[in-house]
Amino acid sequence: METLITYNAVHHNPWGTPITIYFWLVGASAGSFVLSAFGWVFGIKRYKPLALSASVLAIGMLMIVPVLLIWDLGKPFRFIYLMLPGYWHGTAPMAWGSLLILSYPVSMFVYTYFVIKNDQKWAKIIGIIAIVLALSTHWYTGVVMELNPGRYINHTPLAPLLFLTGAFISGIGLMILVLWIKNFFMSEEKKIKWALMEEMAQYMMYGIVFDCFLLFLDFMQTQYGTASENIGHHEVLMNIFFTPYIMLETVIGLLLPLVILCSPLKRTRLGVYGASLLVAGGVYGMRIWWVMGGQYMQSFY
Amino acid sequence: MSSENKHESSTHHLREYGVQTPGTKGIPGKRRYSMVIDLRKCIGCMSCVVACKAEYGVPLGVWRTWVMVADKGRYPDSRRIFMPRLCNHCDYPICVRNCPTQATFKHAEGFVLQRYNRCIGCRTCVIACPYNARHFLPAKRTNNNLPKLVVDKCTFCIHRVKKGLVPACVQACVGGARIFGDVNDPKSEVAKLTAKEKVTVLKPELGTSPSVYYIGGDWEIMDETHNYKHRSAQQKAEFNTFKRNHHGDAFADIVEGENTMHHVGKNMSDFLASIPHKFHDVVAALKKLLFA
Ligand code: SF4
Ligand code: SF4
Repeated sequence: METLITYNAVHHNPWGTPITIYFWLVGASAGSFVLSAFGWVFGIKRYKPLALSASVLAIGMLMIVPVLLIWDLGKPFRFIYLMLPGYWHGTAPMAWGSLLILSYPVSMFVYTYFVIKNDQKWAKIIGIIAIVLALSTHWYTGVVMELNPGRYINHTPLAPLLFLTGAFISGIGLMILVLWIKNFFMSEEKKIKWALMEEMAQYMMYGIVFDCFLLFLDFMQTQYGTASENIGHHEVLMNIFFTPYIMLETVIGLLLPLVILCSPLKRTRLGVYGASLLVAGGVYGMRIWWVMGGQYMQSFY
Repeated sequence: MSSENKHESSTHHLREYGVQTPGTKGIPGKRRYSMVIDLRKCIGCMSCVVACKAEYGVPLGVWRTWVMVADKGRYPDSRRIFMPRLCNHCDYPICVRNCPTQATFKHAEGFVLQRYNRCIGCRTCVIACPYNARHFLPAKRTNNNLPKLVVDKCTFCIHRVKKGLVPACVQACVGGARIFGDVNDPKSEVAKLTAKEKVTVLKPELGTSPSVYYIGGDWEIMDETHNYKHRSAQQKAEFNTFKRNHHGDAFADIVEGENTMHHVGKNMSDFLASIPHKFHDVVAALKKLLFA
């Protein structure tokens, strides 16, 4: 027996491009901040010269976030309700996120202050707090859509991991590009050494491999999962979101850079800078299919 | 007093029950208002949709209740089936759990309600609701005193129920398909029907415990995934036209079969264009203050 749906109300998908950009920015910010902490928190001395640029980049990207998020609200002036006692709602993931988005930049500012003051002890203490907040803020962007059982594509415990790995690689990619540009304006002795860039590219490659593994896990889940997961994968992601999912994220953002970084090209500047650009842009594809693809199927219900 | 404030004062006493009122289905001494929809009696006339639109001035393009239509079988063995939809006033509503400002809450008698003056318009609840029962109100409304740019939903007509009336859609239903009452009261019609008939609810696996029960439900219209796979060509075309031509809010309106990235970009420009509307009321108030 064949049944065709001939009429249904038309529904919108409530979260759009501003949210995808926000997810990308928070991720890249957290990623670059982790790099900044390598020197001051984890004690890897050769990373100290890039700590300041990395935390400034992280803060800069995070400054755009509130503007996007607040303007995306229907009532922008009421954003303060997200933090007011009596309004704040402890069971809502977004309520946790609002506190994280507030405290993460503050901790970064304080950390950057101690880095500038060259105060190792306090930079380390505040750096640890800031790292936890950076990771939590990005963990939250993963779960804010995951904790909706009705959004089949998003409802996977892999969500925070996918987000954090994407953050790590896009943060490194962006950092490499920023350092490359910065080097043009630096005197010879202040330039960031090429060996360090190569090492960062190596970390990026490990991140890419892990991200591919996570995508594979997600793929298997959808193949052997429920009808909703299966249709969501085949008819929504592989069809309507083919460009961001397969072209932008998988091919441009992961496979191409992986090929570059596994080949002799990884020792060339073109290879490292090219791979960084591809990764930083490719991760945005994941933000698109995650936010928009996750909402798509239900708009027909 | 603006209508937003009126709404607040009329529901203010309800606040004391808290936003996460525990489930009350089957608990003696508690009320649990519910609806039974007998699909055998629904003729698809859409009277309920019109009554609801009229009761609340629901804007164009959004719905508090609507009726899904499906064609089953092939001619001559074919039949048209209907399924009215509305908020399920879930006993465990995900929308309430995920609202960051307590703007939406569950009343002790089961109504899931919206407080416009608390809502920041973040649309988290729209994402959370598995039933598409929530919508975002546009910046321009025919009656300027009605709420704008916040989320709205079905209220089970609490203002009528509290006066001993049934919800507007139940009142208007010509087939008598919609039945409303307290399912915890064994003498009520909804309690008798849910006890006697085979009833189904939408997406029971999500643990929301819906309070809208269907009699004679057909899984092919009730199942979201099946639904998605079996949209008619006309349905797809209608959706695409609607989404392609929609402007003014930051909604992720992707059009099937067209360049996704183009619509991602269009969505961004819609977002930018929507910003002035959000500040419109504040700018007007400031102007009034400065030039008064
Ligand atoms: S149907 Fe949706 S809006 Fe209504 S109570 Fe359930 S989750 Fe909330
Ligand atoms: S749109 Fe309003 S009701 Fe919905 S989650 Fe946000 S604040 Fe709560």
